[in-house]
Amino acid sequence: MSNKLITVIFTLCLLLGLLLVAIMLADEVTNAGGVPHSEIAGMTAGGDGALRLEHIGIYAFLFQSLLLLLIVCLCALGVSPRYRSTAFYRYMALCYGLMLFIWWQMYSGHQQFLQTDEVTYFMGFPTPSAWQMYGTWLGAIPLMLIYTLGFRKFIYTQADDEAFQALLSKHKSTTHR
Amino acid sequence: MEAYRQEIILGAVFLYMAFCIVTGIWAMRRTKNSSDFFMAGRSLGPIVVSLALFSSTLSGFGFVGGPGLVYSIGVSSFWMVVISSSGYAIGFFLVAKRIRMIAELRDCISLPDIVAARYNSEVVRFLMAITIVLGVMGYLATQILAMAVVMQAILSGTAMFAEISLVSCVVISSAVLIFYCVTGGIIASVYTDVVQGTIMVVAGGLILITATAVFDGGMQEATSIILADDSEAIMPFGAAGIMASLGWFFVFGLGLAGQPHLITKMMMNKEMADNRTIFPMSLFGYVMAALLWISIGIIMRAAVIDGVIDPLQAPDDAASVFLSIFANPLLAGVVFAGLFAAIMSTSDAFLNIGTAAIIHDIPKAINGKSIENELFWARVVTVLLASVAASFALYSYYLDATLVALLGAFGWATFAASIFPVVAIGLNWKGATVPGAISAIISALVINFSVQLAGISLPYGISGGLVAFITSLILFLGVSAVTKKPSIGADIEQALDI
Repeated sequence: MSNKLITVIFTLCLLLGLLLVAIMLADEVTNAGGVPHSEIAGMTAGGDGALRLEHIGIYAFLFQSLLLLLIVCLCALGVSPRYRSTAFYRYMALCYGLMLFIWWQMYSGHQQFLQTDEVTYFMGFPTPSAWQMYGTWLGAIPLMLIYTLGFRKFIYTQADDEAFQALLSKHKSTTHR
Repeated sequence: MEAYRQEIILGAVFLYMAFCIVTGIWAMRRTKNSSDFFMAGRSLGPIVVSLALFSSTLSGFGFVGGPGLVYSIGVSSFWMVVISSSGYAIGFFLVAKRIRMIAELRDCISLPDIVAARYNSEVVRFLMAITIVLGVMGYLATQILAMAVVMQAILSGTAMFAEISLVSCVVISSAVLIFYCVTGGIIASVYTDVVQGTIMVVAGGLILITATAVFDGGMQEATSIILADDSEAIMPFGAAGIMASLGWFFVFGLGLAGQPHLITKMMMNKEMADNRTIFPMSLFGYVMAALLWISIGIIMRAAVIDGVIDPLQAPDDAASVFLSIFANPLLAGVVFAGLFAAIMSTSDAFLNIGTAAIIHDIPKAINGKSIENELFWARVVTVLLASVAASFALYSYYLDATLVALLGAFGWATFAASIFPVVAIGLNWKGATVPGAISAIISALVINFSVQLAGISLPYGISGGLVAFITSLILFLGVSAVTKKPSIGADIEQALDI
């Protein structure tokens, strides 16, 4: 069951592990995890954003891109192999495409700000943070939709219910014998 | 009304606690055996499960620590929140159906019961039960301490209780918690969760409205102030940086499906098909309640930078200071009741799974059978567990915080790293083996404990929890791939095929 998919998931975990090692071995900058705010005790400041991403920016971008793929693959793993049709995989690929698009908008918007210092706002937040705040939340909604609306087609069909009830009856009659 | 602020807050909290006690008495009549006590007889409707699920997800940490984190490190901590849609998706896709099926098939009343059935192994059951007990102790102690500190802050503002001690507050708050958990078990727990969840949703919505009115320019003015002070703090990765943020995304997202107090609730719904409505309802509730975390944090950081208010003594004061300065007394009353609700809804869930691990799973793993008269012992152990956790809390506060801090390390990240692979992947992949499960659990415990004990600080804000999680996933999948496929029950094999 799920052999190819589990191989993909294992490969993704290995790649994430390797990226993490690469990031840990990269040259560290003083403000990598933030520095104390110069005036207000208890507050942390980020400082120079470009400097923080200088050595690890590409690794971090890849890390998140693979993590989003891992999320979609794990959701697919929860669907019985017999329901993983081409249409299902296409839909899941679209879900991943949307999540990747949102991640790219956020990351590139931040990069653009670091280069130009110009900022636009969307619903109260600088646009890159709005992609984080609203986009990331909404990006996984298609996964919820296929689960909710496709419940009887992909997750737990009428045939599944009948099979489970039969299994339950068989198990009860065996244990009560 | 302003003159009666403390009395209004106290009244709201008192009403809430009285409700918990009444629910406990009501639920006692419906609790006839250990299955009722731990699983509510698997008879709950979708609304009850949804509210119980999300209110247990957002503990006191979300109401106190969350705004404090935004105040302290900017939007980095948003990553813990915005992952919720993906996190719930993974939880429902991977866990909800299979855990419910195995629970009914084998009459399971706890998560270790599920893994014992899945892996046909008492060793895995034992390790899972020990992990849960250690985690529960840390979580419960910190939740009880938080509850007592908030109660002391409220009571000391009134003339009658101005000198009340923290010990008294621990006793009062623990007594209410113990009462409804002992009398009504999980039935009382989930029905109080319904009200707790509702209060949290209302509080989240009202706080957002209040927060956006603090600055004339609304939220955009607040974020502009933060941007002008330190742009990174309001840019997507916040002051803590990109790897701290993405690490939280990983651990809080995937890790949601590894939280025992949450996934145990997925065993309690009456109908399998209810999952399709439970998922969106839980997510909606969580998002609404989390508005409090985000909006208070942003406004407080901006208000301090702008000089509207003085710097906070501690970041965790963000919510209480916001409520005392910007919120209407009635709203403050609702939110403080919501705060107790958030703490208690998580505490009762932990109390329940911890008790199950002690009286049901550990004896079963060692002796092959659970103890006689489980319901009686469940009630006794619930009292003992809460009392020990309360003692830990006081010991930590007055003498030495190390013990609770260590147990606290068995928090979200450790549950995520040790339980997610074994349960979430193991229930969907027949190739998962006992050695794979054991190596995942042990590696998660060792790495998290070592990082905490040795005080190791990793580069770029990478957390020990992230390293532990990725390691346990790799070990679980890798070791399972190279070890002999286990013999599992025919019924479980068929259930995994459905």
